[in-house]
Amino acid sequence: MTSEGSPPAADRGDGTAQGTREVPLDLDTSVAHVARVYDYWLGGKDNFAADRAAGEQAIQAYPDIVYSVRANRAFLARTVRYLAGEAGIRQFLDIGTGIPTANNTHEVAQDVAPGSNVVYVDNDPVVLTHARALLVSGEQGHTNYIDADLRDTGRILAEAAQTLDFSRPVAIMLMAILQHIDEAEDPYEIVNSLLAAVPSGSYLAISHPAADIETEAMAQMAERLNKLMAEKVTFRTRPQVARFFDGLELVEPGMLRVQEWRPASEIEAKSPAALWGGVGRKGSGDR
Amino acid sequence: MSAVQPSDELPREPAMDEPRGGPTVLRIMLGNQLRRLREAGGITPDEAGYEIRGSRSKISRIEHGRVGFKERDIEDLLTLYGVTDEQVRAGMLALARQANSPGWWAKYNDILPDWFEPYLGLEMAASLIRNFEIQFVHGLFQTEDYARAVTALGYGPVSSDETERRVSLRMRRQEVLTGVDPPRVWFVIDEAALRRPIGGRQVMRAQLKHLLEAATLPNVTIQVVPFRRGGHAAAGGSFTILRFAAPDLPDVVYLEHLTSALYLDDRRDVDHYMEVMNRLSAEAHTPVATTRFLKEIIQEI
Repeated sequence: MTSEGSPPAADRGDGTAQGTREVPLDLDTSVAHVARVYDYWLGGKDNFAADRAAGEQAIQAYPDIVYSVRANRAFLARTVRYLAGEAGIRQFLDIGTGIPTANNTHEVAQDVAPGSNVVYVDNDPVVLTHARALLVSGEQGHTNYIDADLRDTGRILAEAAQTLDFSRPVAIMLMAILQHIDEAEDPYEIVNSLLAAVPSGSYLAISHPAADIETEAMAQMAERLNKLMAEKVTFRTRPQVARFFDGLELVEPGMLRVQEWRPASEIEAKSPAALWGGVGRKGSGDR
Repeated sequence: MSAVQPSDELPREPAMDEPRGGPTVLRIMLGNQLRRLREAGGITPDEAGYEIRGSRSKISRIEHGRVGFKERDIEDLLTLYGVTDEQVRAGMLALARQANSPGWWAKYNDILPDWFEPYLGLEMAASLIRNFEIQFVHGLFQTEDYARAVTALGYGPVSSDETERRVSLRMRRQEVLTGVDPPRVWFVIDEAALRRPIGGRQVMRAQLKHLLEAATLPNVTIQVVPFRRGGHAAAGGSFTILRFAAPDLPDVVYLEHLTSALYLDDRRDVDHYMEVMNRLSAEAHTPVATTRFLKEIIQEI
């Protein structure tokens, strides 16, 4: 299970972020948390009463949310497969891990390209509990976990640098997480600061709930979630999501609904999911 | 079912020739599930009974897990209840078969307490087993010598033949770990369970080495809660949470006592135990640190 080898990996075993932390986690489950609500929508069993209540409220407003989350997971797997395969990426920074389920980033990446290193980032204590136990380094490559908020890019980058080599290309994965950053917190600046830390040849993969698909139902779902969840949501339009890729070369077929991005089957392409998604490559230009 | 407590009146050690039912809890769980599906569809017991060429009381018996399942009945009921997802249907039918089959442990009937047999059925059917253990190394990871010592503690001086049969049952159980499509096993062990030299130092040292080896299996995660952490470890006893692949089957919490066991699948109970389990996992050493810790204990013991 462990493949603690050459430095700096030697100390990495029980993790920098995870091992030094002296437990007093806030494992309060009385308020709905996005990772566990998401788990509920996926049909998982690692959710609690408040999460199920919020999840149900959202389903009533927008029943297709259960397809959206599945399509999002499938999009994650397809993008990682593309990045580790065709694009030759060996380093992944996956922010907004969620509760480990099937086809986790490191499993897909290390399946395609053994030796791939993956750093996960999330801020949910239940995710932390699972991740520090289950998302561990194996013979197939290093896997590490950082307990941090997406807004704290400085810390994320500093801690990720213990596992990832930032002089070589990195894929930054932001799957269904940017909606938790509202305009006032400037999500574009957050993405910029992450991209600034990686060299040309790196990639950015994003999926984002749409404000301009199923407009009314999505708005109603957002309103309900914002009443019940600790993290608020801001859904965005296609142009708003496309802005995250400004200055990057979009990988074919561009930015579109996640189910239309290189679907594995016709059935997959027909999902009603209401998320925009795409993959961009950092060239040698300004960004 | 909020708690299924097999009758206390039953003898702990049924005689060899006593007829036994199949895995009770599996039946109850499936029955419970069928009831929920029927109610969700607004279908009366009479209508459901008619569908399977029976009466409402047949439905009642099925839903309370008092009878074995006929596969055809289950298929017809699932169709009537609008369950079309092939994966869900297949999962429920597989469990129905398991609930009916006597199980490989049938030949151990003479040494199996009634309240423990359902656990074996659930352990075999689980896709995820999370366990917190305070006193002993869990049965799935025991060496033969350690199991022998634990058996002697639990059952006193019994015939060596009986002890050997108990040990062999435990070894047989462990095959699930390396079989086809094994469950994910995530165990949190209190340091006390590793320090107490059950069976003597040599047996214990071998047991700990065995644990180290088990931890290298890809489907096995082991975390130790050290003494210096884990107030929560002391707050309750050992418990196990069993999860099943079928999305509609609830998790089951298994609590073992000396002469009986509790099986909880009420959502509030499960939530509570899940929360405690998460805390324990968070307090425990990570798997990598656990490996180091186990090696230290082996040196010290």
